[in-house]
Amino acid sequence: MSAVASSSSTPAVQLQDIVVEYPNGVRALNHITLDVFHGDLMGLIGPNGAGKSTLLSVILGLVAPTSGSARLFGRSISSKSLMDVGYVPQNAQPADRQFPSTVFETVLLGRVASAGMFHRLGKRDHEKVHSVLSLLDISDLSDRKIGELSGGQMQRVFVAKAIVSDPKLLLLDEPTSGVDSKSKNEFYSTLARLNREMSLTIVLSSHDIGAITSLANRVVCINRSLFFCGETSDLTSSSILSKVYDYPVELIHHTDHA
Amino acid sequence: MLSIFIVLKRVSLIGDGLAHTAFGGLSLGYYLDIIPLWAASIVVVLGSIGITKATRSRSISSDAAVAVFLQLGLASGIVLLSLSHGFGVSIESLLFGSILLVNIDQIITALTVLAVTLVIVFVFYKELVYTTFDETQAKAAGIKTWFFDYLLAILAGIVVIASIPIVGVLLISALLVLPALTSIQLSKSFKQTVVLSPMFGLTSVVLGLLLSVMLDTASGATIVLVGLLLFGTVLAAKRVGKIWSAQNLKPT
Repeated sequence: MSAVASSSSTPAVQLQDIVVEYPNGVRALNHITLDVFHGDLMGLIGPNGAGKSTLLSVILGLVAPTSGSARLFGRSISSKSLMDVGYVPQNAQPADRQFPSTVFETVLLGRVASAGMFHRLGKRDHEKVHSVLSLLDISDLSDRKIGELSGGQMQRVFVAKAIVSDPKLLLLDEPTSGVDSKSKNEFYSTLARLNREMSLTIVLSSHDIGAITSLANRVVCINRSLFFCGETSDLTSSSILSKVYDYPVELIHHTDHA
Repeated sequence: MLSIFIVLKRVSLIGDGLAHTAFGGLSLGYYLDIIPLWAASIVVVLGSIGITKATRSRSISSDAAVAVFLQLGLASGIVLLSLSHGFGVSIESLLFGSILLVNIDQIITALTVLAVTLVIVFVFYKELVYTTFDETQAKAAGIKTWFFDYLLAILAGIVVIASIPIVGVLLISALLVLPALTSIQLSKSFKQTVVLSPMFGLTSVVLGLLLSVMLDTASGATIVLVGLLLFGTVLAAKRVGKIWSAQNLKPT
């Protein structure tokens, strides 16, 4: 699988010297500078507590950096720029698993921000939901209540919700945690297809180094500080990953057989 | 209709907190000899804002914030009562409500609040649903979740004010919570929940009123007991239905 990279001049995401320090003095991110280009499928890897979720939260405007600047599509982060961003959070599920909404109603929520405050969701929005459910092969789940879904099904629903507004950028925070291997592989195939067919820029954080390095065209390795940001093919040294994880890691390259 | 958002946002106790805050506001109004409803409305709106601000700042949890305002409203109301020698109004009717003693002004207030609530929920329906579903995801989508938090709390406050004459301070939170809890048990979608919840609320009020007249019992408490009975019946029926389905699926 290879990701599609575009030559658009303004990066989708520009992070310049980002520092995030919490009131208790803990520094979650330490001078991170990186760009995400249009069409990238970027993998974000690092151990627990490395700041992966914090980095995504900075891009989403959920966490204000202590210093540094973050820009989305060449603009400062605002409600307007966030309309072009889809987000799948870690352990994606509703705040209350008993929330009485169907899969269709849940995915429809992804159209709320783009519809505008005083506009009602209409036929066009409903058609878009049906189209996205079909794209992700979950049309048969449309009338099921979300609390009844398995982990893998829930992930697909939240991806559907994230892409139903036709975003330019999709951020996923450890989307396959708690999901079985078969569902994981299907999920990664879906992401690769979205990147390829919709030219959707994707940033995906994960512990699954093998999946990331085979899926993504660019990789970022962080553990509060930036250890590597570049083409996946340039990540050839195990020592970088060992430094990131502070633990011996061996990178084994598999070659495809014709 | 409001009760769905209150229950699903897990702020079910806010009705209790605001009702006791309203008690303090009513007592203040009587003490200062100004229209008690206006005094209570101002105090309750301030209380709604205070509870929401405290919860959003994460300095204390939402249930703790409600508890603070509940105690503040109740204690200050009792102190104001003890500073006076009676307001010429039955404290019992404030605490327990009496729909049979509701006057025309209170009916107009209730209808106005109903209309305002319906309009606001209609206009901001999709944003209210999203912020209730998951506040972080709604915020990440660019929705101003703080606005809808405050809006919901203030709406809950004015609904409490309008409802106190009917069910009283002590039982108002039941009316805010039970209809939603009952409808969630039965509904197959959020839309169904939105439709069923006010129907259960209305059923509780009508049946409760009829029963209280027949049995000569306190109307507010009877309404709440009917609401509880409806909830219990639906829960039991659902449990029986599950057992019956499981038995029928067993191989013979």
